[in-house]
Amino acid sequence: MRTNQFILLIGIFSMLFATNLHAWAQGTQVVEGYVISATDKGPLLGVSVHATGTAVATKTNEQGYFSLQLTLPSVLRFSYLGYTTKELEVKEVGNPLRILLEKTFANLDEAVVVGYGAVKRSSLTAAVTKVENKGLDEIPTARPEVALQGKLAGVNISQTRNAPGSAPIIRIRGAGSISAGNDPLIVVDGFPGASFSNINMNDVASIEVLKDASSAAIYGSRAAGGVVIVTTKSGKQGKPVLSVNAFGGFSKAKLHNDWLNVNEYYDAITKYQNREYAWIGGDTSIPVWGDSNRPAGYQVSPAVLNGTDVNWQDAVMETAPFQNYDLAVNGGNDNINYYISGIVRDQQGTLRNTWYRTYGARASLNIKVNERVDLGLMLNPNYATSRIAPNNMIDYAKYPPFVAIQNPDGTYPTARSYWGAAVTSQANPMAILEGTNYRANTLNTIGNFYASVKLAEGLHIKSTIGTNMSYNITDRFQASWASSSSTSSGSAIDSRTISLINENTINYQKTFGADHDFGALGGASYQHNFSRSMTTLAVNGSFNNDIIQTLNNATINPVGTNTLKSEWGLVSYFGRVNYGFKNKYLFTASIRTDGSSRFGPDRKWGWFPSASAAWRISGERFMENLTVLSDLKLRASFGTTGNMNIGDFAYLGTIGGGIYTVNDQITNWQAQSTYGNSRLGWEKTRELDFGVDISLFNNRVTINADYYRKRTDGLLYAVSIPGITGFTSSLSNVGEVENKGFEIELNTKNLVGDFKWQTSFNVAANRNKVLSLGGVNERITTDGYGMSWLLRVGEPMFSYYGYKQTGVIQTAEQLTSVPVMAGSKLGNPIYDDLNGDGIINQNDRAVLGNFMPKATFGMTNSFSYRSFDLSFTIQASVGAKIYNFENQFYQGSVLGAMRQSLIADQWWSVDDPGDGLHPAVSLSQLSFNANSDYYIEDASFLAVRNINVGYNFPVAISRKIGSSKLRLFASINNALFLTKKEFHGYNPEGYTAGEVAGINSKPGYNIGSEPINRVYTFGVNLGF
Amino acid sequence: MRTNYIIMSLCLSLLAFSACHDELLNPVPESSLTNVNFYQSADDIDQAVLGIYGQLQLRKPTDYQLLEIGTDNLYMSTNTVIAGIPEVDGLTVSSSNPLVLTFWQNTYNGVFRANAVLANIDTPIDYPSGMKEQYVGEAKFMRALFYFDLVRVFGSVPLVTTPISAEEATNVGRTDAEAVYQLIIADLTEAVDLLPLKGAIASGRCNRETALGLLAKVYVTKNDWQAAKQTLDRFFTEFGSTFSLVENFGSLWQVATENNAEVLFAMKYTDGTNGHSLSTAFIPNAGVPNVVSRGAEIALPSWSLHKLFDEEDSRKTATIAEQYVPALSPSDDPIWYPYVSKYAITHTFNASGLDLPVLRYADIILLHAETLNELGQLNAALSELNKVRVRAFGNTTHNYTAREVAGQDEFTDVLLKERQLEFAFENERWFDLVRKEKFVQVLQSEERNYNPANGQAQVVPLQPAAYMQLFPIPQAEIDLVGSSVLSQNQGY
Repeated sequence: MRTNQFILLIGIFSMLFATNLHAWAQGTQVVEGYVISATDKGPLLGVSVHATGTAVATKTNEQGYFSLQLTLPSVLRFSYLGYTTKELEVKEVGNPLRILLEKTFANLDEAVVVGYGAVKRSSLTAAVTKVENKGLDEIPTARPEVALQGKLAGVNISQTRNAPGSAPIIRIRGAGSISAGNDPLIVVDGFPGASFSNINMNDVASIEVLKDASSAAIYGSRAAGGVVIVTTKSGKQGKPVLSVNAFGGFSKAKLHNDWLNVNEYYDAITKYQNREYAWIGGDTSIPVWGDSNRPAGYQVSPAVLNGTDVNWQDAVMETAPFQNYDLAVNGGNDNINYYISGIVRDQQGTLRNTWYRTYGARASLNIKVNERVDLGLMLNPNYATSRIAPNNMIDYAKYPPFVAIQNPDGTYPTARSYWGAAVTSQANPMAILEGTNYRANTLNTIGNFYASVKLAEGLHIKSTIGTNMSYNITDRFQASWASSSSTSSGSAIDSRTISLINENTINYQKTFGADHDFGALGGASYQHNFSRSMTTLAVNGSFNNDIIQTLNNATINPVGTNTLKSEWGLVSYFGRVNYGFKNKYLFTASIRTDGSSRFGPDRKWGWFPSASAAWRISGERFMENLTVLSDLKLRASFGTTGNMNIGDFAYLGTIGGGIYTVNDQITNWQAQSTYGNSRLGWEKTRELDFGVDISLFNNRVTINADYYRKRTDGLLYAVSIPGITGFTSSLSNVGEVENKGFEIELNTKNLVGDFKWQTSFNVAANRNKVLSLGGVNERITTDGYGMSWLLRVGEPMFSYYGYKQTGVIQTAEQLTSVPVMAGSKLGNPIYDDLNGDGIINQNDRAVLGNFMPKATFGMTNSFSYRSFDLSFTIQASVGAKIYNFENQFYQGSVLGAMRQSLIADQWWSVDDPGDGLHPAVSLSQLSFNANSDYYIEDASFLAVRNINVGYNFPVAISRKIGSSKLRLFASINNALFLTKKEFHGYNPEGYTAGEVAGINSKPGYNIGSEPINRVYTFGVNLGF
Repeated sequence: MRTNYIIMSLCLSLLAFSACHDELLNPVPESSLTNVNFYQSADDIDQAVLGIYGQLQLRKPTDYQLLEIGTDNLYMSTNTVIAGIPEVDGLTVSSSNPLVLTFWQNTYNGVFRANAVLANIDTPIDYPSGMKEQYVGEAKFMRALFYFDLVRVFGSVPLVTTPISAEEATNVGRTDAEAVYQLIIADLTEAVDLLPLKGAIASGRCNRETALGLLAKVYVTKNDWQAAKQTLDRFFTEFGSTFSLVENFGSLWQVATENNAEVLFAMKYTDGTNGHSLSTAFIPNAGVPNVVSRGAEIALPSWSLHKLFDEEDSRKTATIAEQYVPALSPSDDPIWYPYVSKYAITHTFNASGLDLPVLRYADIILLHAETLNELGQLNAALSELNKVRVRAFGNTTHNYTAREVAGQDEFTDVLLKERQLEFAFENERWFDLVRKEKFVQVLQSEERNYNPANGQAQVVPLQPAAYMQLFPIPQAEIDLVGSSVLSQNQGY
């Protein structure tokens, strides 16, 4: 832990200095004593004891003991992280001193990790949120990010997919980039560009989020999405401490319960087929089966009523167990400290045949070579293996109920083995899940080595060499009987990415006089990233059997089989100065320049300055009488950050290749495939932030509020260029997007006696707006069935764009009297004729909402009474809209399973016209409904994300089993999940077409994201 | 001691400071050539020439979406809806139609690839004898072919003959269709001189005969009957013995017989590895036994076309299958579900190896017939037309007689119908209707969903207008350069 190292370092150097002083000091006396905690009367280890005005200082040992050589009288200052600093005047030597330190409520002195260093919370000039790992490691999530849901204002963590191990999307203060990614930079123990996938929450000490650009700018180049700094635990001085965290439980998916049974299905599908037939002019009095006058595509097979009634959703979902074991040992002495840990995690998916397992280890070692030199090493290998579902949820849930799960002979019937070609051609869902073997394996190793040298008092130089090595293997096999086209298929992809980084910093901290705190940092960083991938593809259908699933059992397809290499490099220089006057007026300024290989020859370098200032009003004399106010600080900051998340050689016009058949032999061809743009440069985000930090009632109430405005310009995206060049787009720096909003975090200690109650509440709202698209006013991406995603100046990016339904065409008269879309029939919707010209065409489309939430809320309440504790976290999101296109699969298209809530009240015929608000929905009418607000649903939700109950056994009991700590806990994830009535999906945050990733993104588009799981956990924490 | 530390530390840091900038910031791509180091050798040029074919190979299998679905040959199925098709099907194409944009972009990409070859042709110095000339001929032929498509689909279009930058492109407006035709004619004329004969060049590459045949087709499209006649006469004189109509129409659409005496030039495909989606596109969703286990069913044959086929016409079964059995249950009773079977060979899903002809000898013959008719030689025209009838029916009993086809206009009607039957789903119908000025007259309605049980088909009314004969210039392209540079076609 960087903070501890830092303190340790200072302590050690102080001791060194003190000893030196001793050698020549005259007339000194030995002062000794014990420092203990006022709360539990236990000894405090590592308390700084400093004689003010001198260089004499020491630290307490395990018994809380200290002794100093002093010239009396002297004032001793006792300071300890998380405790109120105490001063005591010593006039003469007597019995050993006994000093009680009080715990602070809100840690104004707590160290907050920022880029390349740490500062006291009270000295922060920027918007940084810190989450300490208090119980986060008891939340059973395969991905550590999920445990942070609802805990950070302005940090939206959404689980768009719920397959085991799938990574959530993290957005800090909205998305500003169209093509270059909006993910935050993850820095783990100083290694930038790491991933949460490698992190075991049990190893995490704290997580800091640098939200504003002034704090993030020190990571300039890749910080436009914000920076998340993860600090892992390191060894503490003392005997080895072993801790075991074991928990297990099970997950149950939150499912739909309004599926039609097979009899209801038969009635509904008959109405559906009759309506289809009537639309093409058919006579619906012709029997639905057995009369050749009715075309086969409009018949209903009596085989539907064969006695089978399968709810396919329930058939493929199961209660899934999981287990998790962490083991960690830490310890150390004056010269060395260590932390090692291991984790095994096994999580079954609630969807049959899906799972995710990880095996990880971490070792960190810090060695004090001598008074000046420190060395350290960290190694963190992590292996993850998973089996992935081949299809989206819709392909399983939509299967019609009359199909048996399995035949007695072990084969899997398909819908078409009951009913001819009118019904879905898809393979049996159970066959898909049993006969498809998609595996992903990742071995990811993060390691770093550092050396730190103290050059002079307060002046340190540090050099780090780090690496992130990632090996990924994806094996895919599908048996012919699991494939809808009855064709076996397979592929194997091996890839590796090796990233090397060297960072060198020089750090200077000094307090001049009593009032002037000065700090400076300079640094240089070099990063080189190599990647290589190898893809091998089987010719479809060429597997000799289903037993051997590797590609030696198939014919290799030369097209699509290849190896590829790529690389990028980044050179950075940075500096930061901070100055504080009387800890009242605080200034920080930083500058960073980055050179990236990804940009054109003259555009490689970008400058990323920042400045911030804070005024601690509470430190002013005129505030002294306001005892209610413990702390009041105003902050203002400005900073610039960058983004380079584009292809490695995107500025070059690269030559691509393909295959042509010459003389009946496949032959390679080549042609320039990208336009190239030698002027391609950095995408930059400029952000303003104004904040206030307030502490009231002796820090029992703290409020942190921020307003920000960030503008991302020079957007890296594939700008359209005239097609007559031979190209359609050129990656360019064009356009500007704004995000602005506010965040409030409120922390209160409601009860502080034996019964403790704390509340953390946060709220954030963000508004996204396109400011410029570089010459054009709008860009529209349209889906096959007509829904559009709009980029328009003045609107949030990627808003839904389509027609507004106002009713249903119920009479033939309406077809001529009301403006309708060309080709409309009875049962089709009436659209709002926005421009009033009497015809419905593309000029009548309107903005129909956006995938981004308007506001997010989070609240955590923690209670404790003696040895019991209880906490729960609530998260809410308001205003996001989802394009829930999956509904159409449950409305009878391809004659699949249907849901009552989705087919109710619609128009079936003139005699059965429904409620006049729900148009006819069917596959053939999709282009009338899918292009409107019909499938757009409010994705607001309120969730109790986690409830955790724990009991710490008294030491007397835990001793009996030889442990110093024994804690039992139980928790429920997603205990309650409330959505709007109009929302029909499994997961309001779930969408399948990804988020913003390029000009043709369709964020919010959902066809079958996985259900949310409720997870029940029981666990034990042991310490030895 | 302190000094030593400082020196050591500085060394540690400076180790990295020096020398590595260039390595980190200017890496060279290992897996991809760039426009800097390509076009250096004759082999590069050879690959670049094949790249021109690569673009047509990519575009051709989806041309039907623009050029057939809009006509009375084909209509969209709701099984697979591709953005833009519903508009084409209903003749309500707007300038924002994505298919129109894609056609524009792909075709101009082909033009670019040809221009890039021509612009860099002098760089390599290691050409084997005669190869440089062949490459120029191929590039010019392909450029002409792409412009011939552009001018027929859009009318006047920007005329680009060298690689241009995005900045330059913003100042390039539309060139009069006549000037576009001049380039096409010039390119084809040169290609005729430069290209080897079909027998002397690898299959899949264009050849001298095709260049001349296409030149004739260009003249026919321009209604330049004298030039068409001269060109066709030259064709028959020089290459008449090279080509013939294959006896069995169906054998044109089989992989085993796709290299034959009738096809002048075709886009070549290889099943599985280098296949096209056209064979899958028309297959019903549940697949067809021995063809493919699952179809895309994007479009179905119109009754308007279907009903024209004589039962004895061998082209009928080679073009449309009426009875349908799903692939997974081949023992089912067949049902009436007509689908396009012209490209229905045994193939890998969306990767069919069937070649797609660019120019067939039957087309040369019917172009000849059309030319003769326009020049007033009705009997000679009938004689040419009947060559195609004889092949279709296997005998002369279905030949048109001078009594049935009394005059020039009647011949035109017969010719149009014959071309519709012969080239169904080969993307000729739209251009034929436009060329013969029958577009508005013929496309008033389209019959679909014929029910043999009651003899009824669904009649879908359309509202064709003369302006629709040219597709709109893609609005996205106009937006990029302004309507003062790139104007829209009338009516849109």
